[in-house]
Amino acid sequence: MKILVAVKQVAALDEDFEIRADGKDVDEDFLLYDLNEWDDFSLEEAMKIKESSDAEVEVIVVSVGPDRVDESLRKCLAKGADRAIRVWDEAIQGSDAIAIGQILAAVAKKEAPDMVFAGVQSSDQSYASTGIATAAYLKWPHAAVVADLQYQPGANKAIIRRELEGGMLQEVEINCPAVLTIQLGINKPRYASLRGIKQAAAKPIEEVSLADIGLSAGDVGADSSMSRVRRMYIPAKGRAQMIEGTLAEQAAKIIQIINEFKGA
Amino acid sequence: MLAFKTAKYLVDKAVEAGDIYSAAAVYQIANIEQRVLLESIMFGKRRDALVLARWEYTPAEVLNAICIRCLGDAAIALRLDRNQNTPAVAISELYDVERRSNNSLTVLIAQHQHTPNKVLEAIVEFSNDIESLKAVSKNPAANTHVLRLLLNRMVNSEMNKVIVKNVAANPSTSGDLLASIYEKGDTTTRVVVLGHVNCPLFLIDLAMTNISSAPLEIQRQLAKDNRLNIEALSYLSVSHDKAVRCGIAANLASPSVIVKRLLNDESHLVKRALATRADLSTASIKRLMIDKDHWVRQWLARNLMVSRKVLESFTTDSHADVRRAVARNKRCSTRLFAVLANDENAWVRSAVAYQKNATKRLLEVLANDADVDVLSGVANNSRTPQWILQKFIASPEADIRRAVILNRKAQRKTLLPLLEDSYYLHRLILVSSAKLKESDKWLLCNDPDFQVRFTAFHYFAKSL
Repeated sequence: MKILVAVKQVAALDEDFEIRADGKDVDEDFLLYDLNEWDDFSLEEAMKIKESSDAEVEVIVVSVGPDRVDESLRKCLAKGADRAIRVWDEAIQGSDAIAIGQILAAVAKKEAPDMVFAGVQSSDQSYASTGIATAAYLKWPHAAVVADLQYQPGANKAIIRRELEGGMLQEVEINCPAVLTIQLGINKPRYASLRGIKQAAAKPIEEVSLADIGLSAGDVGADSSMSRVRRMYIPAKGRAQMIEGTLAEQAAKIIQIINEFKGA
Repeated sequence: MLAFKTAKYLVDKAVEAGDIYSAAAVYQIANIEQRVLLESIMFGKRRDALVLARWEYTPAEVLNAICIRCLGDAAIALRLDRNQNTPAVAISELYDVERRSNNSLTVLIAQHQHTPNKVLEAIVEFSNDIESLKAVSKNPAANTHVLRLLLNRMVNSEMNKVIVKNVAANPSTSGDLLASIYEKGDTTTRVVVLGHVNCPLFLIDLAMTNISSAPLEIQRQLAKDNRLNIEALSYLSVSHDKAVRCGIAANLASPSVIVKRLLNDESHLVKRALATRADLSTASIKRLMIDKDHWVRQWLARNLMVSRKVLESFTTDSHADVRRAVARNKRCSTRLFAVLANDENAWVRSAVAYQKNATKRLLEVLANDADVDVLSGVANNSRTPQWILQKFIASPEADIRRAVILNRKAQRKTLLPLLEDSYYLHRLILVSSAKLKESDKWLLCNDPDFQVRFTAFHYFAKSL
């Protein structure tokens, strides 16, 4: 059986960044790239199922992005994923989460996995909709914010617990195959072993074009997306008030401020 | 000579690796031609220069080179101004460029630990930016001349009070400057002066002379000072304010008659301070060991002056922190260790495991404990037999494996497998292990983690 795990290489902001000349994103010189934190947990969940199953389970990671994404895919391979797929075409630039969902669904149709995992959201764009968009295009059952999963490979049902507001957990039975978006803390992601890292360096990453998955340039990109970025900017902020004086004076002032807030 | 023992070989390897961190690690030992190559690796892309300018471990020579090569780039200049490793010569260069145009960067220079005093002096003389001037007033790198110039400049300014207070707290402020500040200062400023490491004795004497009329804040500060005379100590020991009495209780100049009086103090804070004293009498210890406050008992249990009999009585204390404190006491006996090694609380057992005086036999028993903190203590203990350490290196718990790495008696044979540990920090720490051979460590120059590669290359560069 197969588990397809959708992962993303996210951009983290360096301090004191600058906005790009076109005003729509941060200047790339100030971006640091790494595997999305949520995807670490969804990969680990897939690996746990693989390792505890008597049946053979293949874990495939897939990502959409240019060459630099290979680094994150290799991290996944180093942690035990069996194969890695990267989809890219310049036409994909500017795609929103829905368009990306369509791409991932196309990969899923080709691979025919038994389950699709994705992270609840990415730490850079935070749409929290790519996984669900994938499910919509596949017309599969889906569950979001999965904090616990009881699943036997190949089974037609799974029991999940979803994390809700106020610390509540909702237990749901879901038909499979399904798309699950995995929440942080569902497991404890492993570190890749050195041997795994070295082996991963030699493993091929399958580069897939839009045509390979039955899509065309017209299906993706900013023009085909349901939303488009107008601008990105740093909003004006009020200056914080610095509390001056000796340590004792600062402490006294802080106490005064707290009491004022409390209405004392 | 081993190949990696030459600068040329090391630099060639770093160039071959082609990554900015390996290049930064060997920059200092490279010749001029090699530096050109290394710089093309490190600064060839703007994003790499930005990363290195910000990185807290970038060597000073590399930061200097970035400064020279990328001086016109404001984003890079900002990062250099912030980086605490940026050397004085680069800071001076940055100031020359920034002083006329950019106050926000001047503030960073004004607060930088490596800013030369001639630059600080220029800021004091020419800058009109109050944030920069405040930054100078707090900068420990500023010498007396700079601080005095600053105070003179700000004497009629509405920010004078703030500047004066900052200078009073600046660890570099000299005694005579403190005295002039004290003379005109308000109560809080005087408190800071009296507590300053350079506070001259005559100011303490002056404050003591007027002690009965001194504000409470000054009394609290004086109470902690071991230069107080007996009259002042005695006067303050009966203060209505517990913070004052607390200061007296902890003050090693306080004689036994005062200590004895304070044993009956109503405040737990006072008795906690007493419990830490190294000159407690047997009667005082006897009085404190039955105190209801577990912190008092805990401090007493840590006190090296208490007898083993007292420590023994604490092994059955109801509070785990007190029992743990016994285990941490250097005077704790082997017999008591054996008692505490069976404690129900893992934190207490862990303290035994970490104890330098724990016996090998006890450590062998504790090596079968289920708790990670206990096992980490065993792994860290230099008396733990090697066969146990070798078992621990396969532990799934990183804390335990790390404790083995930090064990100063762990042998090479034990540590070697940890060169392949999955946690990068462990491999990084092993670079400086005295037990591993250089040929063992050389492999880490090819490590997949950039911090490990940097540390390994840097280690070899420094060892040349």
